[in-house]
Amino acid sequence: MADKESTKNIKERKERRMTIQPLSNIYEEKGDVIVKVEMPGVSKNNIDISIDGQNLIISGQRESLESEGEFLLRERRIADYYKVFTLDETVDRDKIDATMENGVLTLKLQLKESVKPKKIEVKSS
Amino acid sequence: MNGLTRWRRKTTEPTEWAADPFERLQREINRLFDFDRWGWDETTGIFDRTISPPMDIVEKPDSIVVTCDLPGVDKKDLDISISGNVLTIKGEKKEEKEEKETQYYRKESWSGSFQRTVSLPNTVDADKVEAVMKDGVLRLTMPKKEEAKRKQIPVSVK
Repeated sequence: MADKESTKNIKERKERRMTIQPLSNIYEEKGDVIVKVEMPGVSKNNIDISIDGQNLIISGQRESLESEGEFLLRERRIADYYKVFTLDETVDRDKIDATMENGVLTLKLQLKESVKPKKIEVKSS
Repeated sequence: MNGLTRWRRKTTEPTEWAADPFERLQREINRLFDFDRWGWDETTGIFDRTISPPMDIVEKPDSIVVTCDLPGVDKKDLDISISGNVLTIKGEKKEEKEEKETQYYRKESWSGSFQRTVSLPNTVDADKVEAVMKDGVLRLTMPKKEEAKRKQIPVSVK
């Protein structure tokens, strides 16, 4: 999996609010590929995950910041999250499981049955 | 003989930079793409803490609101305390993986313990602090003490 996005996506993205790439971890666990994307401030309802061809597009809208008052310290960035991953053929697109907890999105990608290693029995003649 | 000279970070040594132009280019590209990651500074001091969750502090007329991004941190792993006008947020972000021998393809986030200490401008009422953890964002609302609030004194014009 690598980051890649089509020009169509970039164009669409520019029309929206400023976006930043969320931090992500990808690892393998029990034969599944787990993708964790950190999106603090994004609730379950403000997240959008879609598959467009080879691209897995994740976007999350952050809740707006404080509207009144004076900022004494400002380190959090005002932006929505946007991230595109490229899925290769081995990922089963119908079996993607997504959960959101504590501002972390967890995607569980399963590999297609056909690409999983198969054990071949040797028959004795 | 060299006397005591100021310690300089090795990675920015000009001679080392010039040694391999490809490495220099690679480094510049890496830095360009890492620009919006926090906590990935090149600081290498032993006591430097690169783990520092981003924080906003907003002063309102009668309260101070502190917001801190803490994705993946459980409510029970947080320890918030106020002494005087110093606010300390301590916590631990546990590593998500279940198995010990997990193969990572990409790892951008951090895990482990973190601590942030900030001094607050006005004296806040430590007994009335309200802390809410929602969607990985900690929001502390600290009402100001009565005497620290901005007061409006009505002046009657005769």
